[in-house]
Amino acid sequence: MHDIADLEARGLVGVFLASSEFQDAADAQSRALGLAVSYVLVPHPIQDRTDEEMTALADAAYDAVLAAITDR
Amino acid sequence: MQLPDGWVVVLKRDCPTCTLVEPVLHQLADAGGLTVYSQDDPGFPAGLTVVDDSELESSWRLQVDTVPTLLRVEDGAEVARAVGWLRSSWEELTGVTGLGPDLPDHRPGCGSRSVEWGVEEELDRRYGERILTARTVELADLEDEYEAAYARGWTDGLPVVPPTEARVLAMLKGTSRAPDEVVAVVPPDLVECTVEKVAVNAVLAGCLPEHLPVVLAAVAAACTDGFNMHGVLATTMPAGPVVVVNGPVARAIGMNSGVNALGQGNRANATIGRALQLVVRNVGGGRPGEVDRGSQGQPGKYTACFAEDEEGSPFDPLAESRGVEGSALTLFAGCGWWPVVDQLSRTPESLARSLAAGLRGVGHPKLAIVFDALLVLSPEHGRVFREAGWDRARLLAELDGLLTVPAAELSRGVDGMAEGMPPAMIAGWGQAVPLPKFRPGGLLIAHAGGTAGLFSTIVPGWVSGAGGSEPTTVPIGA
Amino acid sequence: MRVLLDPTSERVPSTRTLNPRPASLDGLTVGLLDISKARGDVLLDRLESRLVADGVTVRRYAKPTFAKPAPVDLRHEIAVQCEVVIEALAD
Repeated sequence: MHDIADLEARGLVGVFLASSEFQDAADAQSRALGLAVSYVLVPHPIQDRTDEEMTALADAAYDAVLAAITDR
Repeated sequence: MQLPDGWVVVLKRDCPTCTLVEPVLHQLADAGGLTVYSQDDPGFPAGLTVVDDSELESSWRLQVDTVPTLLRVEDGAEVARAVGWLRSSWEELTGVTGLGPDLPDHRPGCGSRSVEWGVEEELDRRYGERILTARTVELADLEDEYEAAYARGWTDGLPVVPPTEARVLAMLKGTSRAPDEVVAVVPPDLVECTVEKVAVNAVLAGCLPEHLPVVLAAVAAACTDGFNMHGVLATTMPAGPVVVVNGPVARAIGMNSGVNALGQGNRANATIGRALQLVVRNVGGGRPGEVDRGSQGQPGKYTACFAEDEEGSPFDPLAESRGVEGSALTLFAGCGWWPVVDQLSRTPESLARSLAAGLRGVGHPKLAIVFDALLVLSPEHGRVFREAGWDRARLLAELDGLLTVPAAELSRGVDGMAEGMPPAMIAGWGQAVPLPKFRPGGLLIAHAGGTAGLFSTIVPGWVSGAGGSEPTTVPIGA
Repeated sequence: MRVLLDPTSERVPSTRTLNPRPASLDGLTVGLLDISKARGDVLLDRLESRLVADGVTVRRYAKPTFAKPAPVDLRHEIAVQCEVVIEALAD
């Protein structure tokens, strides 16, 4: 999240993806940084997913990612 | 503040007089009600009722500046006090005789912790009536305070001093004006700017409190209709306010009127000009690329402020020549800085010709009356005029003569240059009519710089007259 | 808690805001930044395919380690080469 905050400061539009376990940490880090960085959550767990499952997670998150980086 | 009835002593253990009077405190405790407020160790004196005032709130509210301070309290309020140890005063105040028989008759107290350097300001801020009304900005834990200013667009590209409440309160002590007094309505957003807002921007700029009165005067001058700050900002020409300071204030606050006066290195010069620009940016909303349309700009838009060298000047102070005596400043819409080299002229006539040759180029050599200029005469050049007995009027008259040419010479197309005075205008006046380079009063002369250097500086101006900017001179108050 | 006084006219909020989002990704380069945690690359591969299929220009980047912020030269490279960045996948 620090990376996205830094890149926003450099003028880029940014979003990061994290597992749902990350929600509280994300909100705390936003407060600490003073910037409400855009993020999209995907369902936990991640580590033991198959390729097909990861691909499905990406598809499921795609629209939310676009919504975070465009003005639609 | 509600106090316990009877006698109250404010003290600190770390004070020889306070420890000296310990037996007296026991005597008073035995004789009637005594409450001790301790600024450091609530265990001292042992055996007495001691209130812990290590936060110094009570000491501040009671305005204690010396310890021990003895108060008599009736119905919750102070009716008398004694400061330090003086037997006769303590006996009179308490009505108890025979206090401290083994003690000397008197002993001065020590400084109260509540008035130590920096502590009093912090207590003022913590317990005092809130005088600051500017919106507060809370920084996030991981936010760097210098980056925070950049992120919010508060800077001119260089870092600014973080405007903490303590710094702004300290800055406000530099003026006797009330923080909520409106100084000016600042363009382009036409915002009412208070003394407090100027102080916040003066902190950003790096000013000291003693610089604030000059900044306040500069802001007021810039926001007059005559100076036309909006026009100065919005023009595509590289215009920016130049502050020329006169009078005792310049020396009092350590301004530079000598070597490198127009350059970097002096805090007052650097920060006063910068504070004015930051007010225009932050309060007025004037920013490059938005209302500020300066096509190329110039470094003087970071800051441009210097003091006139009055002692060495061949002329009266600039502000005085414009009707304002004493501490005052003149604001000029300048578009750059260029030196005129003349290392050989021994006569005023020759030097005037060199200066005129330079001045001819202000704006464009074939444009007359349109632009003002500020000539900053160096001491070595000034000496030539002083030794010849030329005053300001004499030099201006000489330059005016040298810079007045027949209108026909300035017409568009003449000398192969498309630029120039409109032919229709010239036809209306007459081809032979002499046109002065500068409108009456459009050439200002100041005196500053080091004593070695046969160069003066021309500051070409922005457009003069209605619709342009009028050089503006104002007094500097407190 | 550090408090500063606002030097502005206070006509706009003083909080930091995100950069305005573009109407669409047409003509823009999207950087995909892999934080280098397991399985993240697979997710980013799929996002890349979807974006490319939608006609978007994509560049791939990876941090040397997920444990620290991206090195400054990597951030600089991304900032120079892209207008948009998607970072994944933290868990």
